Amino acid sequence: MNDIDNLVRAIDPAPRAPDHSPGARELRAAILAEDRGAPIAATRHAGRSGPRRLLLGLTAAAVLATGIVVGPSLLEDGSGVTPSYAVTKDSNGIVYVTVRDFSDAAGLRRQLRDLGVPAIVDHAPHGQKCQEPRGTYVEQIPAGLYSVPENIPGEARGPGWRMRIDTKLFRPGQTFVWTITDSPGGSSTSTILMTGPVAPCVLVPDDTRGKVETNPPYRVATLKDRTLAGLRVDEKTVGEVLPELEKRGLKVKFLIMGIAPGNPGGYGELRTQDTPVGDDWIVWEAEESTREDGVIRLLVTDKRYDRNPVYGGPRDDIIKE
Amino acid sequence: MTERDRFEAVYDAYYPAIYQYAARRTASPDDTADVISETFLAAWRRIGDVPEGERALLWLYGVARRVLANQQRGASRRAVLAERLRDELATERPTTPVELRHVRAAFDALPERDREVLALACWEGLTGDQIANVVGCTAVAARTRLHRARKRLAASLQQQSFPAPVMGEA
Repeated sequence: MNDIDNLVRAIDPAPRAPDHSPGARELRAAILAEDRGAPIAATRHAGRSGPRRLLLGLTAAAVLATGIVVGPSLLEDGSGVTPSYAVTKDSNGIVYVTVRDFSDAAGLRRQLRDLGVPAIVDHAPHGQKCQEPRGTYVEQIPAGLYSVPENIPGEARGPGWRMRIDTKLFRPGQTFVWTITDSPGGSSTSTILMTGPVAPCVLVPDDTRGKVETNPPYRVATLKDRTLAGLRVDEKTVGEVLPELEKRGLKVKFLIMGIAPGNPGGYGELRTQDTPVGDDWIVWEAEESTREDGVIRLLVTDKRYDRNPVYGGPRDDIIKE
Repeated sequence: MTERDRFEAVYDAYYPAIYQYAARRTASPDDTADVISETFLAAWRRIGDVPEGERALLWLYGVARRVLANQQRGASRRAVLAERLRDELATERPTTPVELRHVRAAFDALPERDREVLALACWEGLTGDQIANVVGCTAVAARTRLHRARKRLAASLQQQSFPAPVMGEA
């Protein structure tokens, strides 16, 4: 029957097995951004909730940076294995980072720098996070730059992990940005490749913790069948938009957006406030509250940018209706 | 390892296999992308159920198989998650070489159950036990199905070679 098997093999219609293509990486990031109902709070990247996530549905994840690795959680189960981390480099420029405990962020940062790995390591206590955005995400990550964290050889059941980084593949100006966050029962880290200047970590309260995103508090209001269907607010000034909303008897809040240097697309949520902002501020989108009727939240910045940060370009490129 | 790490490890290890499994059994890039994304989305949502080691791949095949069955029942969903992937898939696919078209035709003419086990054995390279795991039957049943499928395909190809059965005189 081997002949039969060989014949069937010969008509295998499979295309060439892909290596990890941009589409594959993007799908992985998009799936990881999907809520599973029981979010692991600290592993979700701050600033990627809310409207960014909504965008996922609208733009098929094209806006989600493929360059995000939301990394491993290090369960500190008190096994007391030492040392807490180790960084080794071989002659080919391959660095192995072995981590068992991230509490010594400064030590790890120093050791990485000494071995030529451009990395920033920050530590956020429980309930806090680094304020976003801090820099520009790298969308095209060189293949082989880093490996998925894997178990430490010989410690399959241990809490730590090992990651392989090929330092030859860093492009000038690129930095690995690791943020370690404490949480009850362990800690977790996100690893993001950024390019250009990276702002220092400014600790702010982490209010994203535990939010279940399948029921976001706000959603885009200007789509069909929503509160502001047919009304365009994007790229207008607050002074142009407010009178219409007031005329309709709507209560208005403001989401103050944080824009990374160079406006790479996307934004961080600095705060949401009732206090009015200047009439000359720029509106990029309007959202409606899913909790209270008649509440609109305008996404605003204090100055005009070259493109709409909410959509990474013109709204019309993304929303077709 | 967190569930995220686990998912990433599973995804990175088995993406090519699931990609090929899906591509072999779907006619359009849209459908292929749907099967891949639905399968891994299920894996992410049920990462605690995904077995360790190579059995994870069999588990994924099993999920992909159900996704495919649902898809073929109609109402296939367009996975918004896989936009770019779909574009990549739109590029060329291999066609069956001319000299093997009769094999393909005979294969296509087999009952679905036969095609399934033959494909799992010859394209995915699974053993009888592994096929049983994927399709959810006993190993004995899987081996029996495989044996019968091979025989039916062999008989069909034999017939093709002798389209008009010669009635022997002696």
